[in-house]
Amino acid sequence: MPRPVEKLVSLTINGNEVQAPAGMMLADAALKYGDVEIPVFCYDAKIGPPVGACRMCLVEIEGIPKMQAGCSVAVTDGMVVHTDTPTVKAAQEAVLEFILINHPLDCPVCDKGGECPLQDNAFGWGGGLSRFVEPKRHFEKPLALSPLIAIDRERCILCYRCVRFSQEVSEDDQLVLEERGADTFVTTFDGHPYVAPFSGNITEFCPVGALTSRPYRFRARPWDIEQAGSVCTLCPAQCNVSFSVRDERVLRVLSREHDGVDDGWLCDKGRFAYQAIHVDARITEPMMRDGGELRPVTWDLAIETAAKLLSHAGANTGALVGGETTNEEGVLLAHLMREALGSNDLDSRPGGALEIELLRALSAPTLQASVPDLQYAHAVLVLDCEPVDDAPILDLRLRKGVRHHGVKLLIGSSRPSALDERAAHSARFAPGCGEAFAAALSAELAGQPSASLAAAAGADADDVGALAAQLREAGDEVVILWGERLTAGPRGNEGARALLNLAEQLGLDGRDGGGLLEIPSGTNSRGLREVGVLPNASIGLADAPTAGRDSQQIGEALADGDLSAVILLHSDPLLDQPSSALWQRALGKASAVIAHAAFLTPAVLEHANVVFPAESYAEKEGTVVHPDSRVQRLRRSISRQGETRAEWALLAELAARLGSDPKALTCSMVSARMFEQVPFYAGLSLDLLGGVGIRWSEREAAASFPSAPAAPFTLDAPPAAASPNGLLRLGSFRSIWASPEVEASPALAFLHPRQRVEISPADAARLGINHGENVTVASNGDFVEGLAHIRTSAPDGTVFLQTAIPGDSAALLEGPLVEVKRS
Amino acid sequence: MAWDPDKDVIEVIRGPQKAGGAGGLYRAFGETLRGLKTTFGQLRMGVDTIQYPEEKIPVYPRFRGRHQLHRFEDTGLEKCVGCSLCAAACPSDCIRVVAAENTPENRVSAGERYAAVYEINLSRCIFCGYCEIACPFDAITMGHEYELSDANRSDLIFTKEMLLAEPLERTPLRAEGE
Ligand code: SF4
Ligand code: SF4
Ligand code: SF4
Ligand code: SF4
Ligand code: FES
Repeated sequence: MPRPVEKLVSLTINGNEVQAPAGMMLADAALKYGDVEIPVFCYDAKIGPPVGACRMCLVEIEGIPKMQAGCSVAVTDGMVVHTDTPTVKAAQEAVLEFILINHPLDCPVCDKGGECPLQDNAFGWGGGLSRFVEPKRHFEKPLALSPLIAIDRERCILCYRCVRFSQEVSEDDQLVLEERGADTFVTTFDGHPYVAPFSGNITEFCPVGALTSRPYRFRARPWDIEQAGSVCTLCPAQCNVSFSVRDERVLRVLSREHDGVDDGWLCDKGRFAYQAIHVDARITEPMMRDGGELRPVTWDLAIETAAKLLSHAGANTGALVGGETTNEEGVLLAHLMREALGSNDLDSRPGGALEIELLRALSAPTLQASVPDLQYAHAVLVLDCEPVDDAPILDLRLRKGVRHHGVKLLIGSSRPSALDERAAHSARFAPGCGEAFAAALSAELAGQPSASLAAAAGADADDVGALAAQLREAGDEVVILWGERLTAGPRGNEGARALLNLAEQLGLDGRDGGGLLEIPSGTNSRGLREVGVLPNASIGLADAPTAGRDSQQIGEALADGDLSAVILLHSDPLLDQPSSALWQRALGKASAVIAHAAFLTPAVLEHANVVFPAESYAEKEGTVVHPDSRVQRLRRSISRQGETRAEWALLAELAARLGSDPKALTCSMVSARMFEQVPFYAGLSLDLLGGVGIRWSEREAAASFPSAPAAPFTLDAPPAAASPNGLLRLGSFRSIWASPEVEASPALAFLHPRQRVEISPADAARLGINHGENVTVASNGDFVEGLAHIRTSAPDGTVFLQTAIPGDSAALLEGPLVEVKRS
Repeated sequence: MAWDPDKDVIEVIRGPQKAGGAGGLYRAFGETLRGLKTTFGQLRMGVDTIQYPEEKIPVYPRFRGRHQLHRFEDTGLEKCVGCSLCAAACPSDCIRVVAAENTPENRVSAGERYAAVYEINLSRCIFCGYCEIACPFDAITMGHEYELSDANRSDLIFTKEMLLAEPLERTPLRAEGE
């Protein structure tokens, strides 16, 4: 449903005339437009419509004999409201006295103390005395609701917020209230721990200290800490966060609500993986390989050695850049490679380059949808990605759109999606056949024959037809949320063309409220491309003077000895690149591997000659670009741990030693220069970005985005999906928990995934595999082990494995067909 | 206009400008005698020196000296639960509390949490007593000890152990009506 049109009504609050949008709840309108606070407990606009569970918000409205709940009454024209009469005061005092009847006097030992809405409301609106002398209710406490959350049931005021979050926001349906009356308590429906990708939000959302974070337990009081606003760079969703810092340590991560990015929620990775900043496993000093083992060395020695190795390799150096790199680091790395070393072999896209023209067409400002568009569009097509794994917070946005705004959710993916049950229609296709699927869909929309394309995609023609019919009927505003996977690999260009044709077919170019939204593989992939960390583009997506090798070719060239050195900037090719075998060979052959890393991931541990400690995201400064083109600013929140140094400075220093000084004295100098050099960033500055960032595609300077060829393109026939023939098709995915930060965080380590082999019940029965058994997946002599996971929704003839986990990663196998058997 | 330092000099008058003959002589001599009268008058009153540090002035019961942390007499557990309220109340920001959780094996205080670190920087403390007022458990009180000088600033950061220990020498208390 398109965005509601705002219509103003005027009402009177405590004698003052106030204008507010019709339909807004009185409690919100009073605070926002009338500067009158109506105390609330259970209500918050971001969980959706009110339930009126706590009665804290009672107000008098003229013409209505009884007091009304201010959170549940929408403002109307001519309404006259009183929030400060003796009646209201008496009601507020009575409600607070009632709520406090069973509330223990725990404030000194309660983690919420000092930032507790119950304390604030009791202080601001309470009577100060209680007449209740009888015993209070008692529960066993404190208990672990999950390894991450502690629950203290005595403190619960039964406001329903946590239960509603679980049932209506994250829709994991795990939390419930059991029993009745004074015996009511919060629990999971089956008594198992509450483990879900977004569970941590309830610790921030509970208005009392009933649900608290276990990693933060008793760490600090609000007055012991400072809040430092920055951006989470653990995934492309780039949620706005606020670090609680005490003694130069991050103790907790809270949401810094931003409607255009995260809607005020965080996933558990973003909320708890801060622990990885302060673990011993983190690399905090430079290291060099000495007798086969990495040993700490001084900075001088490390820089000197790295410079020597690089100047020796010269133009025979390649560079892989990971998604956590900031734009500034990207600019400096490109300078180091292109100016100082004379090499164009740098890439930030895993699996191979895309034609620069197509990349421009896909990033064109007129074609970009924004995150809030997901919530208000007529229809959203999720294409070849899994939001909850790839950019978790968008999963919540899509659910909100479906639940509250009538968005029609359509899914086209290989692996069953967590969103399937909310979708109007889901279609499956064979892994890696996104190109054929998109082509089939646009053919169907255009009324052309699509059966052969659907067959090539390994999809059901009726499914494609149904999806197309839904899309056609939905309305104009359509957002396609697509995964980078669609345009990666050897047929990436064809995938991009098919996607652009589909967008053209739907008329998305220049449409308000619709467009394309990519979920890239790395956090800052979009920014890195825009500042020219690509083999075929220089800064501002301009043509590179000479095209270099892409990531796949860098691997091949290293293996063949054409390149001799490689820089791994926050990138571990054994985890991030599609083929481990190639990169094992490549890194084995390379004479110099220079890594910037925070953890000893496989490639660093086995192959790096020089390792520089990478800054964590709380220590970094610079800018990143959200997939919807919002340029956001990272701010340094804590001092760098150990011997860690600023990486932009290190890259500048290396370039200077190699004979081309980028003359970067501060990071903001690099930012300023970048804003000048990228034509479509023109006029931006760090000050302008401030705390909320700016979507460059909405500014005037976006007009200077390089022009791109217009769709439709003619497509060559996509290759047909491999037919299983007794074997199984190999599909891969990267779990939300597959990251070194999760593995290193003590509180999250229990979630760090082991390989699991997802197959359908029919295949499992055919192969005689039981759920939870050890199985081996093999192809061409390589094999991977994992636990069998039988999923009823998994398509027959396909097996799904995880990538980016050390050891048994799917990247070890060569597709498209694999053999699965019991080990 | 530039500031001219010479213009800012204010003349200070330190006494009569002129000695002034006999009147002046009287002023100098007579006033000295008047002063000496006070001096000799005091002689009559005897010696009133207190031989500090051998002798100490007794303090009033409400005297706010160096803080003390307390334990429960029966269980020996610390009264402080590490709630940090004292640190919040402290106007000179000289209390540092880092809390931790009690476990059955390691029970330090009576509540769920205890102060793993409790430090008062006495070189910044102004002995206002707000911390004592803020404490919900009477875990911290202002003691009577006032001999706090030290040769090293960092030695003035009192740790939990120092604050829990009985002061070595007790300051005498002023008796009723004294
Ligand atoms: S646990 Fe917290 S959020 Fe949940 S019902 Fe109780 S008070 Fe509300
Ligand atoms: S969704 Fe992504 S950006 Fe947001 S908190 Fe989680 S990891 Fe961080
Ligand atoms: S006496 Fe006053 S200044 Fe000293 S620690 Fe207590 S609150 Fe702080
Ligand atoms: S001394 Fe009292 S106020 Fe201070 S932390 Fe301990 S219990 Fe809290
Ligand atoms: S806030 Fe209105 S009833 Fe709870």
